[in-house]
Amino acid sequence: MMKTLAWAAAAAASLTAASSAFASDTLRVGMSGGYFPFTFVRQDVLQGFEVDVMTAVAEETGLEVEFVTMSFSGLIGALESDRIDTIANQITITPERSAKFAFTQPYVIDGAQVVVKRGNEAGIAGPEDLTGKTVAVNLGSNFEELLRNLPNADEIEIKTYEANIAQDTALGRVDAFVMDRVSSAQLIQESPLPLTLAGAPFSEIRNALPFRQDDESLALRDRVDAALSTLRDNGKLAEISQKWFGTDITATAAK
Amino acid sequence: MQGLDLAYMLGLVPVLLSYVPLTLFMAVVAMALALVLASFLAVERVLRIPVLDQLVVLFISFFRGTPLLVQLFLFYYGLPQVLSVLTQIDGVSAAIMGLTLHFSAYMAESIRAAILGVDRSQWEAAQSIGMTRGQMMRRIVLPQAARIAAPTLVNYFIDMIKGTSLAFTLGVTEMMGATQKEAAGSFLYFEAFLVVAVIYWILVEALSLVQRLLETHLIKAYAR
Repeated sequence: MMKTLAWAAAAAASLTAASSAFASDTLRVGMSGGYFPFTFVRQDVLQGFEVDVMTAVAEETGLEVEFVTMSFSGLIGALESDRIDTIANQITITPERSAKFAFTQPYVIDGAQVVVKRGNEAGIAGPEDLTGKTVAVNLGSNFEELLRNLPNADEIEIKTYEANIAQDTALGRVDAFVMDRVSSAQLIQESPLPLTLAGAPFSEIRNALPFRQDDESLALRDRVDAALSTLRDNGKLAEISQKWFGTDITATAAK
Repeated sequence: MQGLDLAYMLGLVPVLLSYVPLTLFMAVVAMALALVLASFLAVERVLRIPVLDQLVVLFISFFRGTPLLVQLFLFYYGLPQVLSVLTQIDGVSAAIMGLTLHFSAYMAESIRAAILGVDRSQWEAAQSIGMTRGQMMRRIVLPQAARIAAPTLVNYFIDMIKGTSLAFTLGVTEMMGATQKEAAGSFLYFEAFLVVAVIYWILVEALSLVQRLLETHLIKAYAR
C-alpha cells in the first residue's frame, strides 16, 4: 500500500512540475470550448472566432498562446487565481467587471437577442413579450443581468444553465433563451435545432478581454490591446469576423 | 425526430476513448490515496483517540456534508486567493486531491462498519496471544474487514470514476469536458452524450468483472 502511495505522490508531483513551467512570454487564454462559433471542438480540434483572434494577437505580440478550456463557470475563478491571463469567451464589459478587471478595447460589438422555438415567434417578438415566460441563460453570463434590468423583469422566470440552453428551448422546457445576436444567428443557421430569432436585439453589448490589475498583468493587457489596434487597422479582425459570421461584428458601433 | 447520426457517433468514439486513460488515472490515484486515508480515519474512529477523534469527526462531517463541486471550487479557486503558493497546484492534482478527501470521508465510515463487523472473538483471540492493538488491527482485523468492505469500496470507486467528470470545471479536459466541447461543435447533443454514456458504462462493467475476481480471491481463506 505504501508503494502505491509513493507512486501516486510521484505521479502527482511530476504533473505539477510539468504544468507550472510557464514562461513569462506565454499568454494563457481561458475559454469554455462550448460556445459555437466562438470556441468549440470538432474531432478534438479547438477552433472558432476566439481561437483565430487570439492566435492573430499572439503572432502580433510575439507571445506564445496557450489555450485552456474549462467550464464557463470556472473561468472567472481561474483568472482571479492566476491560472490564466485572460478570457477569450465573449466577456461583456460591465461596471462590476470593470471594477475588478482591466479590459482591452472591445473587439466585438453586439446585442442581446431573444431566441424561441420555431413557430413561437408570433407570441414572443421581443423582451417585452417575455412577461410570464421562462427564459434560459448561461450561468455566469451577462445576459442574466440584462434580463433582470428589463422593466418587466419581476414577471420573467430566469433559469440559469451550465450548457445546452438551445437544446432545452428546442425541446420546449423553456420558452426562450437569451444570448448574443451574432452567435444566435449562427447557431440557428448551422444547427438542426428548430429555433428562430424573436425580434431585434435589445441592448448593445461590448465584449473585450479581461486581465487582472497587477502591474505585470496590466503590461500584458497593454501589449494585447496594441495588437488588437493593429489587427483592426490592417483589416485582419474584420477578415476573421467575415470568415465565421459573414459580417463584421468587430466594428465599433455607429457614433 | 431525425435518426441518429451514426457516422458522427463512430467518429467520436476514438476521440473520446483517448481521454479514458486520464479519467482512469485520476480515479485510480484518488482511490489509492483515499483507501489509505480512509483506513487511518476508520481505525481512529474505532480506537477513539482523544482530540484526534474530534478532528476526524469534523473532517468526515465537512467532506460528507458539502458537495464535491463546492469543495473543488473552494480548494482550486478560493484558497489560492488567500495562499498564493496554491496556484502552483494544477487541475489534475487538485481534482485528485478533491476526490481523495471527499471519498475518504465516505469510505472511512464504510471501513469502520467493516471493522466492527469482524467477529468479536477474533479480537479477543488476538489479544489473548499478546498482540498489541496495532498488531491486532494490521494482522487480524483489517484483512478480514477488507473482505467485508470490498463490495462497498468498489461502489465508491465506480462513483469516483464518474466524479472525475467534474474536473472540467477546473480546466482539465477529461472525457466529459471533451464531450461537451464536441457537442457544442456539432449540435448533436444526443449522439455525443449517448457515446460518452456507453463508454462510462463499459468502463464500470469492466470494473465489476475485477470486483468479482477480487471477491473470489478474498474469500479463498474461507473455502472448505
